[in-house]
Amino acid sequence: MRPIVQVRNLGKRYYLTRARNTSPTLREALVGAARAFSFQRLSTRTDSDHFWALREVTFDVRPGEVIGIIGPNGAGKSTLLKLLARITKPTEGEADIYGRVGSILEVGTGFHPDLSGRENIYLNAAILGMKRHEIRRKLDEIIAFSEIDQFLEMPVKFYSSGMYVRLAFAVAVHLEPDVLILDEVLSVGDAAFQVKCQEKMSQVRRQGHTIFLVSHNMQAIRESCNRVFIISDGRLTQRSDVQNAIDEYLQGLTSARKPITGARTRSAKG
Amino acid sequence: MSALLQPVTSLPAEPLIKIRPSRPWSIINLREIWAHRELFVFLVWRDLKVRYKQTLLGALWVILQPLLMTVVLVVFLGMIARVPSPGPPYSLFLYSALLPWTFFSNAVAASSFSLIGSAGMITKVYFPRALVPVAAVAVRLSDFLIAFGIMAGLLAYFRVPPAWSALLVPFLVAHLTILAIAVGLLLSAVNVKYRDVGTIIPVLIQLWMFASPIVYPAGMVPARWRVAYELNPLVGIIENFRSCLIGLPMNLRSLLISLVITGLLLCCAAFVFHHMEDEFADVV
Repeated sequence: MRPIVQVRNLGKRYYLTRARNTSPTLREALVGAARAFSFQRLSTRTDSDHFWALREVTFDVRPGEVIGIIGPNGAGKSTLLKLLARITKPTEGEADIYGRVGSILEVGTGFHPDLSGRENIYLNAAILGMKRHEIRRKLDEIIAFSEIDQFLEMPVKFYSSGMYVRLAFAVAVHLEPDVLILDEVLSVGDAAFQVKCQEKMSQVRRQGHTIFLVSHNMQAIRESCNRVFIISDGRLTQRSDVQNAIDEYLQGLTSARKPITGARTRSAKG
Repeated sequence: MSALLQPVTSLPAEPLIKIRPSRPWSIINLREIWAHRELFVFLVWRDLKVRYKQTLLGALWVILQPLLMTVVLVVFLGMIARVPSPGPPYSLFLYSALLPWTFFSNAVAASSFSLIGSAGMITKVYFPRALVPVAAVAVRLSDFLIAFGIMAGLLAYFRVPPAWSALLVPFLVAHLTILAIAVGLLLSAVNVKYRDVGTIIPVLIQLWMFASPIVYPAGMVPARWRVAYELNPLVGIIENFRSCLIGLPMNLRSLLISLVITGLLLCCAAFVFHHMEDEFADVV
């Protein structure tokens, strides 16, 4: 069976000066440009002001596989998902995907507080990549799944947080692309609703969709995944023995608690 | 676990999605933008819907904004400073330029901040980023079309007979829209990375208003400065928009200059935007 996702030597480098919310001001950029120009160098960046969030990641995933991605905070899990979802571009390497990709990295992306529940279903589904005819076809199903049909015409700013999450999930689980990328999203909501989501997910899986699932919920990983990718310090290790991999990972976490920043400075030097 | 590995469909021979590092000389992917046209419609629909839900007067504001502006300027410039109008009443002269100017300035302001405002979407979902600033312009275009109705009323009130040149108005509106998209793409992209730009934009818009023939006729500019003046692409559009509506002679030279400048600006904006968009999710 040919792989549906092929990843070769994928890597993503971030500059520390460009960390979130600290983009350089115009003055810094102009000063930097002037300096680079006067020294006749294209870049004055040194090795120490960047770090590799992910490096030399290579794997194949066949259709219908469910891959659990685990690792400590800041190890590079979200970076991998963002690369596969095309939210950000890799610094090196390549990935080929032989199918449609849908990503849910957050519940209710693009929800607008002043729009009604029904309007937000349309908007959110369109943002996640559903076509209008698909949304129309699944609308009743989404509404039934959310169990909030009596509040459907009310602006979502008046929703309780539980109702909001239900509506967002209902849209998310009805997105049925060939490759589905999920970040932790199905681990919120009350217990009954979580069960419902898990059932819907296994139904999606039975239909042969390929899923990448990032989670700190080892129970969910154990139940749904046939392989596990462990990411640590931006490096990826593949494991087919899910149970053993989880056990070893948990043991490693408790025996050696490393600070997150430690992982970054070490990979920056390397 | 082997039950999981049933293929539903055969895989295509070529990958649907190729993920590669940014290339320095790639060009903007229009096919990708076309494939996301439904999302574009939804983004415009959302902004319109939200506006009319939040405001009491709704569509009325769209008409009132240029109208109130006209009243204020007629009092200060027309009656007190006595700026001359070449023929038609000053209020008509003013409104016929304030109408496209209001569209342009609102469109540029809205699209410049549109990417920052959509940070939540940009960091969580993939879609062609250009949709966001272009949708912001499209929303303002719909405002313009509503406010245009008032223009027809004013023309009837002042008994100005419609000129044949009025048939050119749709082309001028299209021209103006493309200029707004070009400026919006450029400023929105730069604004993501350098927030300083956000504080300059209102000043820039104010200056641009006085550099364009809105409250005064283009003919007031000394002849030896005319060509330099017409390098401002708004001059050719607004001057001719006004001329077409109230039946003054057109200035084809300024229109031609504006077409060239708009084309260059659009190419430049598409290039800059495309080269910055790969970074948006990392820096916004």
